[in-house]
Amino acid sequence: MQALHTAATGMAAQELNVQVISNNIANLRTTGFKKQTVAFQDLIYDHQRRVGAQSSDQGTILPVGIDIGGGVKTVGTPRSMTQGTLSQTGNDLDLSITGEGFFKVLMPDGTFQYTRDGTFQMDNQGRIVTAQGNPVQPTITIPQNASGITVNAQGQVSVTLPGSTTSNIIGQLQVTRFINKAGLQPVGNNQFTDTPSSGPPQDGVANQDGLGSITQGSLEQANVDVVSEMSELIAAQRAYEMNAKVISAADQMLQSTTALFR
Amino acid sequence: MENALLIGLSRQMVLERQLDVVANNVANVNTNGFKADQQLFEEYLSSGAHEDNFPAAGRQVSYVQDRGTYRDFSQGSMQHTGNALDVSIAGDGFLAVQTAGGERYTRDGNLHMNNIGQLVTAAGDPVLGTGGPIVFQPTDHDINISPDGTVTVVEGINRTDSIRGKLRIVNFADPQAAQKQGNNLFAAVGGATPQQDTKSTVQQGYIEKSNVSAVGEMSKMVEVMRAYTQVANMLQVQSDLRKNAIEKLADVPA
Repeated sequence: MQALHTAATGMAAQELNVQVISNNIANLRTTGFKKQTVAFQDLIYDHQRRVGAQSSDQGTILPVGIDIGGGVKTVGTPRSMTQGTLSQTGNDLDLSITGEGFFKVLMPDGTFQYTRDGTFQMDNQGRIVTAQGNPVQPTITIPQNASGITVNAQGQVSVTLPGSTTSNIIGQLQVTRFINKAGLQPVGNNQFTDTPSSGPPQDGVANQDGLGSITQGSLEQANVDVVSEMSELIAAQRAYEMNAKVISAADQMLQSTTALFR
Repeated sequence: MENALLIGLSRQMVLERQLDVVANNVANVNTNGFKADQQLFEEYLSSGAHEDNFPAAGRQVSYVQDRGTYRDFSQGSMQHTGNALDVSIAGDGFLAVQTAGGERYTRDGNLHMNNIGQLVTAAGDPVLGTGGPIVFQPTDHDINISPDGTVTVVEGINRTDSIRGKLRIVNFADPQAAQKQGNNLFAAVGGATPQQDTKSTVQQGYIEKSNVSAVGEMSKMVEVMRAYTQVANMLQVQSDLRKNAIEKLADVPA
């Protein structure tokens, strides 16, 4: 009975849906997290009677055919790259990007990763690093005893050195954009790597060329909307139950057939 | 007497297929742009199992067969996503998609960009504009899709809009000529040609959900299940009747 298999594809799809929703909810408080959705597509159809076929010698055309679908499949878990809200922290090295772009991070193996999580710290050498300790690009070293670290909207970092009353620019943070940021691959730690689908990274200066501006002292919150995630969760759960009901209906039908002619 | 068995069988086979259709609708309850299928039945008149038993005209036996599945093209509900590349169509239109197998049509507006900046479906097939695929430049941002399908962007440091194309929205004189192909795609069949749709409007940031009515499908399922069991019971009664008759008739009185 086809219905059994069809409903099974539906249950598998909803299970995956719940998995993605639960990951969104788990990352509700993750800085710079971008939520995912699941995109489903119907499976190919068994055209038991082809629409448009000639049904008589007089040229009668069938207005409808018999198309029996085989269920559902998951085609992707696209990431919604919408802006998250900014929350004020007051820390000098907490940065957020409003608009396009990612911070570029140098990994220990020499490759680059990209993040919207601007929870930066200073390491023992005075470099601006991510929470994992990897330097933000280009590497900016804050001199010892420097005070009054300021990062402006373009990403220029300036400090006031001891004995001076004016602040000096000591570096310029880079912001990187991708033609298709939804095509970035998440690697955990709030970071992404570029893929053939995202297109090559294009480095630029914040607040210019359509890149977003940097706000100091604030962090970008996850773009997860709890209310809509909860309603999605309920919808997924009910859809799962409905598919399970179809299986039990098919089972009952088969049972009544096998019970025949005892 | 065998006619009852055959009629019952014809009904059961149709019900089984109807459950397949219901199962597919339910499985796709969360599929973007999915259109529910409904089944049509018709009476199929034929001579009885033993034609010579009914020599007179007008004694044909009525079977049932499914004549077709037709698609319910009613609008699905709109879900707000806020993604710039998500579009939903209000009206009868379809988005035109270029696939390996030729031009196809879809109502699934969950669109993406590929590595060369082309507007593509979730499966990666380019979505067609009135002048071919819509391609974005690496410096484009603030993508805007107007209700008539015109795609504009802000390019680089410019503050003026640049047009990147216009979505090709098509419809069919007879929507049933749009045959489901899987992957949320429809194909034009039976000589149908899609025509430019001027009435439909596009809404950016929204996705059209499946138009499957969960309640309707569930009640249909219960109906199918009960009808199937009923026919099974009828067949059982028929079989018992025959068995009894054979036993009674073969019972030679002592």
